[in-house]
Amino acid sequence: MKNFFFKIYMLGFMVLVIFFIAIIWQVTFAHLFEEYHNRKQALEITKFKEQKKKEAEKTTFEKVILESEEKVKHYLGYKILEEKRIKGHFHHIGFQVGPDKRSYCVECHGDMPHDQLKDLRAFLNMHAFFVGCETCHVKPEGSQKVRVFKWYDRTTGDIVESPVKGSTPGTYRAKIISFERIGGKLERIDSEERIGFVREYREKEKSLTESQRSKAKKMIHKIVSKQPVMCEECHQKEASILPFEDLGYPKERIDSIISTEVVGMIKNYTKFYMPRMLHPGEAPAPAPAPQPEPVKKKGT
Amino acid sequence: MTALRRASKFFLPFGIFILIFLLHTPGNSYASDIGNCLLCHKYAGMSRVDEEGKMRLFFVNESIFVNSVHSKVKCEGCHTDITEIPHKPAKKVDCLVECHIVEPSTEKKFSHKDVDTFLAKSVHGTTDASGKPKKYVEDMPMCKDCHDEPLYRPLSFFKKVRPGISDAALGRCRVCHKKEDFIYRFYNHVTTRLHKSRNPLNIAEVCARCHDDETIVARHGLSTKAVFSYSETFHGKAARFLDERIPDCLDCHVNKGESVHQMLSHKNVQASTHEYNRGKICSNIDCHPGASPKLATYGVHSEFSLEQSPAQYFFTAFFIILTGGTLLPLMVIILLDLIRRFFPNATIKGRK
Repeated sequence: MKNFFFKIYMLGFMVLVIFFIAIIWQVTFAHLFEEYHNRKQALEITKFKEQKKKEAEKTTFEKVILESEEKVKHYLGYKILEEKRIKGHFHHIGFQVGPDKRSYCVECHGDMPHDQLKDLRAFLNMHAFFVGCETCHVKPEGSQKVRVFKWYDRTTGDIVESPVKGSTPGTYRAKIISFERIGGKLERIDSEERIGFVREYREKEKSLTESQRSKAKKMIHKIVSKQPVMCEECHQKEASILPFEDLGYPKERIDSIISTEVVGMIKNYTKFYMPRMLHPGEAPAPAPAPQPEPVKKKGT
Repeated sequence: MTALRRASKFFLPFGIFILIFLLHTPGNSYASDIGNCLLCHKYAGMSRVDEEGKMRLFFVNESIFVNSVHSKVKCEGCHTDITEIPHKPAKKVDCLVECHIVEPSTEKKFSHKDVDTFLAKSVHGTTDASGKPKKYVEDMPMCKDCHDEPLYRPLSFFKKVRPGISDAALGRCRVCHKKEDFIYRFYNHVTTRLHKSRNPLNIAEVCARCHDDETIVARHGLSTKAVFSYSETFHGKAARFLDERIPDCLDCHVNKGESVHQMLSHKNVQASTHEYNRGKICSNIDCHPGASPKLATYGVHSEFSLEQSPAQYFFTAFFIILTGGTLLPLMVIILLDLIRRFFPNATIKGRK
């Protein structure tokens, strides 16, 4: 027995010595080698930076914010604020959410997909941050239609509990997805089957002929409605498309979403810009109707 | 007259009620958002890709913004072109604009114009002494290259100096001042200004964005990657451990009592880092009072480079080899001894 413990003791001691050897190597000779190689690689790094700079021009929300490596810690003494850094951005971001790995729309359309309507694109992208694309762009008809919406985790894609309570509005790690009835069963619009089809198409895209590609795209977009869900279809008290209570929105948040301020704002934007939304890409009407007066900002 | 009296009888209690209600409504800490801009801009995903393909983010984090030095400035104080809703794409903010805040000592509208004047004359200015644009003028820092929204770093001095707010001190403020919002902001403003407005490590990180950039260092003929070499010193290593007392870049490169925007080239006789003045840096009253001026002659920005600092290079290499050359064989001998104890009867094949 004594011999056994002695062996264990020796073994532990040996591991400790090997650990020390590794540490000493790291802080001495490895440091020398590292310095030597660092200097050699300095030029290559400069070239790499130039290349990265060019790549960075193709910015997306995901690359810049959600997957950005550049973090900064502000040491405020009483607390440390850690956040992603965006070059040239003045206001602090201060939130951490992962990229949407479930959405197959984002793979082609990006995470800031709305860019045609100049005056509305930021608003629409803001909603795309916590509302799944299909929730607005797919409207199940007839027997498929059900008024069921749930939250899914951006990273895992799993259906999760509502993240709304206790979170800053719009900075959730989850997005809203709608459901449809298929053969009497409730199914997510972003079903595994649809995701599988799109992923397979993306893999084989380069090897497909033009007509095959066109056919595949048509199949993918077959479920997309001609007219998306409009703002006032959700921002209303009586028959909102989204069941806010079921989605875990507390009363004060629901009141805010359907408040006069928000609805009024939508009306203003609708009168100003929305007619073109129905026909994206088309030139604006030659003689637009007289526009309502913009709301003067309070305090100005 | 009777009608007037009757009307006043009716409206007086109503007026008093409104007055009481207004006076007792808690101070809105987001008072700067008079235009209710955060109704939309509080949403993180408020973003788009602009015509140049760059991402534009319009999100303002409300909870962080209220702890910033600009929390009392109205949004349109900086975004001056936004006067109505819906608004067109906002113009780039001019940091030199006069905002609504009145500077109390002069009673003039507040502006950052002086900072611009200082910066123009500094080593980071865009023109040289003759007024001509400097070479690689695009490398010269603009406001947002060094500054994001500055945040308060309050201090408590009540029993000991510690980060954060002293409730005891706030209690004193409340004796005379009645508005919580005012007390909170004033306390934050004053105590933040009584020490470094940024941690030394944060300062070093900001300078490193340019001064550790290989390309910028090379094309401006700078002798060193300044922050990298600083991080190799005792001061730099202490900064890594978030020591607040340790000197950062600004402590040595700016004359005491001047704005950090008045940083001068070490070739300028007025610069704190000029060879005539360098001796005073270390021996100043806040650092090493009474120290010899020669203390400042040590290589603060020496890199482990044979070309740049041969003496430091051989000195460092000698100690690295000495440490590794002594400790590594020692550890190997101990390991061999342990192996022998573990296998006392082991022999190499063929040997007795």
